[in-house]
Amino acid sequence: MPEYKLVYFAFRGLGEVPRQLFSLAGVKFENVRIEDADWDAGKRPETPFGQMPVLFVDGKPIPQSFAINRYIANQYGFAGKTPFEAALVDAFADQFKVDFNTEFKKYWYVKQGDEPGDVEEMKAKHGIPARDSFFPLVVKQLKKSGSGFIVGDAVTWVDVLVANATDYITVLEKDLLNDYPEILAHKEKIHSLPGLKEWLKIRE
Amino acid sequence: MPEYKLYYFAFRGLAEVSRQVFALAGVEYENVGLTKEEWVEFKKKTPFGRIPVLEVDGKLIAQSLTIARYIASQHGLAGKTPLEAAWADSIADEWRDFHGNFKKYWYLKIGVRQGDIEGTRVEYGIPARDKFFPLIVKQLKETGTGFLVGDSVTWVDVLIANTVDEVEENEPGLLQDYPEASFVVQHKQRVHAIPALKKWIETRPQ
Repeated sequence: MPEYKLVYFAFRGLGEVPRQLFSLAGVKFENVRIEDADWDAGKRPETPFGQMPVLFVDGKPIPQSFAINRYIANQYGFAGKTPFEAALVDAFADQFKVDFNTEFKKYWYVKQGDEPGDVEEMKAKHGIPARDSFFPLVVKQLKKSGSGFIVGDAVTWVDVLVANATDYITVLEKDLLNDYPEILAHKEKIHSLPGLKEWLKIRE
Repeated sequence: MPEYKLYYFAFRGLAEVSRQVFALAGVEYENVGLTKEEWVEFKKKTPFGRIPVLEVDGKLIAQSLTIARYIASQHGLAGKTPLEAAWADSIADEWRDFHGNFKKYWYLKIGVRQGDIEGTRVEYGIPARDKFFPLIVKQLKETGTGFLVGDSVTWVDVLIANTVDEVEENEPGLLQDYPEASFVVQHKQRVHAIPALKKWIETRPQ
C-alpha cells in the first residue's frame, strides 16, 4: 500500500472530493490542512504548480484536483468498469468543471461572500442558467443508467463530485435545486454509502 | 478494433489534438467535418449539445480532453504507469486553466470574438502565458527526456505542442518572450517531427 499525503487548505473546497474518495475506498491518508493565514504569509509547502491540492504518493506529487480524483478512483475501482465508462465519467466531470462551474461560480462566489457583487443579479445572469444547462444532463443520464449512479451500475468519482456540489449548494441555498428531485435523491444515495457516510460525520 | 468517428467542424479547433493522437497512434477513424447546417441537426444527438464528439462503435463520448485521453489510453499514449497517466492529466488540467484565461485574449486575436485585443492581451494573454509556460519548461527540465511525462510521447505533449503551433501561426514571438522559451519551442518541433504526426500536419486540410 502506498503512503498517501493529501495537501490542501483547511477548508473543503477542491480537497473534499479526494478526501471523500479515500474514505469510500477505506484507504488511510494523511490529511494535511494548510491554514489560509500561513499560505498567505508565504508559508507554503513545495508544490509542482504552486497550487493545491497536491497528492503525494510515496513522496511523489500529483497536482490538479481532477488528476488526483481520477488517480485515486483508478486505483480503487471508482472510475467505471470499462474504458468507455471511464471516458463517460471523465466527460461528465469535464462538463461539470468547464461548462457548469466556470459559469456557476460567478454567482456562487458572490453568494458565499468571497467576492463582491449583486447576489440576485449574478444568480439570474449566471447561477440559474448554469444550473439549468447542467443538471438536466445529469438527470437524463441517471434515467439512462437506471442504477442510481451516473455511469454504469456502481459509484464512480463523478457521483462523488456531483453529490458534493449538490451538498454545498443546498447547505447555503436550500431551495436552489428543488426543481431537480433526482439530483437531491442522488446526493442522499451517494452520501449514505459506507465509508463516505462515516467521513461526513467527522469532517470539518 | 472499434469503429471510430470524430465529429467536429471542418477546422482545427478543439478536435485537432484528438486528430493528432489518432495519427500518432496510427489508428483509422472517420474525420467528420460538419457544416453549420449539419451541426444544427447533429447537436440534438450529442450528449451535451457540443462538439467534438467521438463515436465508438455507435456510442458517444463528449468533451475534447476526455476524447483525447480516451484514444491515447487505448493506444499507449497516456503514460506507462498510473502515476505517469496522472501526471499527464495534471498537465492537461493545468493547460485547461491556462486556456480558460488565455482565450479571453486569444479568441479576440484570431477573430472568433470581438473586443479589445490590446487590453485583453495585457490583462489575460500575457499573465496566462507567464503563469503556464514556465511550468512546462520546469517539467521538461525535470524529465530531461524531451517529453513532458516519462520518456516517450503522450497526448499531453500533443496538446501543448498544438497550442504552441497555433500561437506561433497567429502571433509569432508571443511564446518566445519569457525565460527559457526555447525549451517550449524545441519541444513543439520535436513532437511535430515524429513521423506519423509530421505526415498528418503536412497533409491535414487547411
